[in-house]
Amino acid sequence: MAVAASAAHGHATHNPVRFNRLGLWLFFFSESILFGLLLTTRFFLEGIEREHVDQHLGLAITIILLLSSLTAFTAETAIEHNNQRVANWFLMATIVLGIIFAAGVGFEWKTAEFSRHEAFGSVFFTMTGIHAAHVVSGIGILFLVWIQLKRGKFNSKNHWPVSGSVMYWHFVDVVWVFFYPALYLVK
Amino acid sequence: MTAAMQKGLIVAVILAVLTVAEYIFATSVTQTETQFIGLAVTAIGKAALICYYFMHIYRLWRAEEAH
Repeated sequence: MAVAASAAHGHATHNPVRFNRLGLWLFFFSESILFGLLLTTRFFLEGIEREHVDQHLGLAITIILLLSSLTAFTAETAIEHNNQRVANWFLMATIVLGIIFAAGVGFEWKTAEFSRHEAFGSVFFTMTGIHAAHVVSGIGILFLVWIQLKRGKFNSKNHWPVSGSVMYWHFVDVVWVFFYPALYLVK
Repeated sequence: MTAAMQKGLIVAVILAVLTVAEYIFATSVTQTETQFIGLAVTAIGKAALICYYFMHIYRLWRAEEAH
């Protein structure tokens, strides 16, 4: 609307970050459909029953992912305030926490007491697998942004890649907010 | 530490408390329907907190970027 208004006054200025942000939210919306369908599948196949899963591991990796959201937020806030050193450290902390989360999911897969041939096992491995794929891709994106950050490419005026990758990371966290109770707690 | 970072820390603590609370709730409540509704409401609340405070969804309606 602001773009249309300024175009109407003969000086077409636009904010690309605003469009980037809108595009990213549309991407999140399309991803939500995928994750929503997986969540629906879990309840359709199993109702509100579930197999035995490692509760302590589930709680631990959930807290780790929440903590990684805090470090990602701190990194974004730091670069918005032109503090590259703090942004650098907290972005790396986010990557490390993400790796720990992915390792936790891997351990859960290895020690699971159900097989992928059962209904619960099928949805459990599909849901955690697709989520873990997003976590791993998020780690990759954050790592690429971290390298650019180390090279001093971002500052308070130009930090969209940091914000965008951090928003993606938060989205992965939001998905887990729904997956964790559905897979570990509901019974 | 800036005010924004402090706000992020407070939100993260609230999220952690809600996560532990939903774990305790799920392991102590035996009635499945009550448990399901309680967990669903908590999850929606947590997701809303993340979308608003961490993902800055309100910036979609702002003409200028906040720095």
